Amino acid sequence: MTVLAPADSARETAGTAATRAPRRRRTSPATLLLVAPFALLLTGTVLVPIGYALYLSLFTERLSGLGFEGPRDVFVWLENYGEVLTDAAFHDSVLNVAAYALLHIPLMLGGALLLALLLDGATVRLRQVWSLAVFLPYAVPGVIAVLIWTYLYSPNIGPLNDVLPWDPLGSAGVLPSIVNMATWQWMGYNMIIFYTALRTVPREVLESARVDGAGPVRTALGIKVPMIRPTVFVALIFTVIGSLQLFTEPLVMRNFTGSVTSTWTPSLYVYEAAFISNDYGRAAAASLLLAVASALLSALVMRLSTRSGRSR
Amino acid sequence: MALHTGWSRRALLRASAGAAALAAGGTALSGCASRTTASGATRVTIWSWMTGMDQYVAAFNAAQQDVHVELNVIAGGLSGGYAQQTNAIRAHNAPDILHVEYQGLIQLLATGGLREITDDVADLADGYSPAAWRAVRPDGRTWAVPMDLAPMAFYYRRDLFDQHGIRAPRTWDEFAAAAEAVREADPAARITTFPLNDGSFFAGMCWGAGQPWWRIEGDTWVVDVASEGTLRTAGYWQDLIAADLVGSGGTGTQDWIAGMHEGRLWGLLGAAWSVGTLKRSIPDDTGRWAVATMPTWDGEPANGMQGGSAFSVSEESPVPEAAVTFLRWLCAGPDYPRIGATFTSPFPAYLPNREIAREILPDDFFVGDPVFDVLDVAGDRVPEWTWGPNALGLFSTVADSLGPVPTGGTTIPDAVRRVQRAAVSEMRGRGLSVREGSPA
Repeated sequence: MTVLAPADSARETAGTAATRAPRRRRTSPATLLLVAPFALLLTGTVLVPIGYALYLSLFTERLSGLGFEGPRDVFVWLENYGEVLTDAAFHDSVLNVAAYALLHIPLMLGGALLLALLLDGATVRLRQVWSLAVFLPYAVPGVIAVLIWTYLYSPNIGPLNDVLPWDPLGSAGVLPSIVNMATWQWMGYNMIIFYTALRTVPREVLESARVDGAGPVRTALGIKVPMIRPTVFVALIFTVIGSLQLFTEPLVMRNFTGSVTSTWTPSLYVYEAAFISNDYGRAAAASLLLAVASALLSALVMRLSTRSGRSR
Repeated sequence: MALHTGWSRRALLRASAGAAALAAGGTALSGCASRTTASGATRVTIWSWMTGMDQYVAAFNAAQQDVHVELNVIAGGLSGGYAQQTNAIRAHNAPDILHVEYQGLIQLLATGGLREITDDVADLADGYSPAAWRAVRPDGRTWAVPMDLAPMAFYYRRDLFDQHGIRAPRTWDEFAAAAEAVREADPAARITTFPLNDGSFFAGMCWGAGQPWWRIEGDTWVVDVASEGTLRTAGYWQDLIAADLVGSGGTGTQDWIAGMHEGRLWGLLGAAWSVGTLKRSIPDDTGRWAVATMPTWDGEPANGMQGGSAFSVSEESPVPEAAVTFLRWLCAGPDYPRIGATFTSPFPAYLPNREIAREILPDDFFVGDPVFDVLDVAGDRVPEWTWGPNALGLFSTVADSLGPVPTGGTTIPDAVRRVQRAAVSEMRGRGLSVREGSPA
């Protein structure tokens, strides 16, 4: 189905490209016309901004004396990058996001996979109702979801603050609180993706597994999960990138607790540098570092995906 | 395809801030296209987040034919308004008039985007409250026209105080005793919260100690966040928070709102604009609250300020005269208190306007001393203070540094010393000439 399409079609195009390789390519006007919208959008919304960020990241604004005469732009080579990389606040933000990712990704994807397998395997009544119920949090706009959860976390008025043994808005409690919000919001979404992929597993394969004596658990772990592995990796890539970009939840929670600093995640760090400290050079440098980290992590996951695919 | 929208949703929110700025920039550009309207009036653009600014603008446009003001409502200063204005200045498409609070004026000034208006408004000097006039003239030149003043004040539940024989505190020692009495009367109640996540509030509280965080000496900034007065203020509140005599949560949070409604909070360390907030948010409490000037250290009267709005003319505005015409009407004309009184409780910085506001505003919510008398006194007691070119950024640093206080991760005085170090290194990093006021 659509979800499997990326992996399948990738394999397909790889195959066809190989067979067609000897034929020389000709670019007709029609091709150019069809490619133009994409090329223009890519240039205008991705390449140019990245280039501009790169340019900005090499400059800094310098004031002099009292600063009332306004700033001058000074070329500083890679000084902004050095400043970001040695900034303790940036280190903290990276550690926060790492801790968040380590908790959130296995919890959320594991939960989503488990729910999808249950939904697919067991004789579940009201299948549609269940999947809709789990999916529903995704339909709640992110900011609204954070506001509602923070309300529940708030002391004196929210029940969670009394029930939990720790303060969900305290300095040790905000990380689990944010992980909980994000997991709540994204688990259903990923479950639907996994479930849809599971429906495409050929029934005859499952039948022969049963004939060979595999129980439901064995079938799930030995047949189903390996067969939807490409989908799981695609979801993993998006979740890794999404985790690095963690922004909405801590930003909104800052209005309710001092435990979330203004530079709690790398995205917030960039936001603080650009829009509160007016330090565009540092903001550009930090955002490029973030982009490079995202690209490297995605590449790593891709690589893991193909490797495990081959070893199969 | 569905996968794609999935992860980009997060990015969407981030992008929306930029998109809003772009959209605002676009309208400003289209405004530049023609500086006169069809009827021949000069077109002036203003960005503001002030409640009711649309009504002031409409009244001004209806009152005369020479200048036509176009308002663009932007996000509140610290929630994006300053970022938007700074970006617009950088992109050379700022509106003719910018919204600056006293606390943000110097930081905006350091973008080089403001126009000096010393001569244009020199004749208004005598009418202005000295605290406001000083605030828009950091270096002896005038950079903005003050609109309202926001001296801090202590609002308290007069009914509950009376019922338990607690007197309104006049010194901080009495305040601590009152805090204890409140908790004794009702173990669930506190005299107030001391919001640790609000740097602007913390600065206002330290202002009352009389030692400004920044000073200008010649061509050098003297940074004195960790002054004796501030450290004393910090130590005082540290003790109160550690003893659980005051809360430390933010004002305006769900918990705070519930606390005000349920009578769990018997007081509020607020500013002049809290009058409107209280009237609007707890109308059922009419006749229960009273207002007093801030308690003092050693009986020496002093009141900090928290916020307060002024308006600047953009350096690149092609129509500065028309912009000043509107600002004079807005800030020093009698229509401001008259229109403002219909939807809020304005506290004008221009003294003749304050008299008008005093006469027409109903004083029916509070008991005890008339609100305007108390605020008048508070406004006169505002000590000298200069905001720095990194004030807005410093508010974030303050809030970040105070974050671990409730769990004992740090103390307020330690946090203050950290803020001092951060402020000095940040300002030096930007090339400013800086000297440390007191050894941190």
